[in-house]
Amino acid sequence: MRPILLQGHERSLTQIKFNREGDLLFSCSKDHVINVWFSHNGERLGTYNGHNGTVWTIDVDSQSRYLVSGSADNTLKLWEVSTGKCLFTWEFPTAVKRVSFSDDDEQVVCITEQRMGYQGAIRVFRLNFDGDGKDQDPEPERFFNPIGSKATVCAFTFMKNLIVTGHESGKVALIDVATGDEIQTNERAHMDIITDLQMGPDGTYFITSSKDKVARIHDTKTLRVLKTFSTETPLNSAAIAPNRPYVLLGGGQEAMQVTTTSLRQGKFETRFWHKVFEEEVGRVKGHFGPINTIAAHPAGTGYASGGEDGFVRMHHYDDSYFKSKPYGDLEIDE
Amino acid sequence: EDAAEESNISAELIAHRKRLVDEWNAWRARCRKDISDEKRSRGIRNDGREHGDEEKEEIE
Repeated sequence: MRPILLQGHERSLTQIKFNREGDLLFSCSKDHVINVWFSHNGERLGTYNGHNGTVWTIDVDSQSRYLVSGSADNTLKLWEVSTGKCLFTWEFPTAVKRVSFSDDDEQVVCITEQRMGYQGAIRVFRLNFDGDGKDQDPEPERFFNPIGSKATVCAFTFMKNLIVTGHESGKVALIDVATGDEIQTNERAHMDIITDLQMGPDGTYFITSSKDKVARIHDTKTLRVLKTFSTETPLNSAAIAPNRPYVLLGGGQEAMQVTTTSLRQGKFETRFWHKVFEEEVGRVKGHFGPINTIAAHPAGTGYASGGEDGFVRMHHYDDSYFKSKPYGDLEIDE
Repeated sequence: EDAAEESNISAELIAHRKRLVDEWNAWRARCRKDISDEKRSRGIRNDGREHGDEEKEEIE
């Protein structure tokens, strides 16, 4: 499995996302730039210029028409994917740490950071695409300040008005955006900051990764922990592989500790775990620093990883990946 | 004797894995029901589009 190296970012990657078809890969970075790449050959299709700070987070709608991004420049931006034009900018008192589209593409949820006397906030915007996309409501449809530990990641769920959030304390919560009330919580989902949250194929389960070196699969409706994957390194990202029973985990020691950490300790590898048996099945080397973000190709044909080293590596699986049945012929439902 | 022991362990492991898969698949079946219930209550057809009151379509 020879990866394609996507070179174009000058600083570490913060998040990468495939579009629904998987032909495009979007990446954002501390270099203030968002890039879009053809996933099959790694060619850069375009860039989205306009942010004046680290771009922490991106998401693309299901039609690959619009992109949203959140940045340390305290803005949330809406972009037209095909032209690279910024259609609208929302401004906040603090940095935007996470954005995510709803399944119907009509709403965007965003988390703004708690800082300088401002509480962390979650806002839901309803987008308007009746015209050219530039006529957006500057005010959110929903706004609330999550109680307790600050939220780091979030996503819409398959249940109306309910979002799931991951927090600095390791808490996972199911929140009604209409009221801001926590419907369900698991205070001890993790023992440290939650770094990533990605939904499963139909949204009924999701995976979280944490600095506590553990990734977990949770039942979306009950927040019950279904599966636990314990590694020996702080995790920055976790993804669910479509069509095969694997999850992909990535992380590594913090940059300040890298000098004392040998590459050969294998901290910077993407780890493949069997999602039902909770057993590690393989590792993929490559990055020269921690892996910050992983995305699984939606067709299950590959994955991409974005590193602290500034590189994105796009992997297309070999035939052996699809043929191997390391645990026999048991049929596992998606 | 060793071989017999090994096959015994692997038989146990295989049984354990089978149990995990059965549990997982049973839970997935419940999830699929939750999804179709949610869609029905929201008035969304299985193709994901919303529909009004004018027509009721059977969810397969």
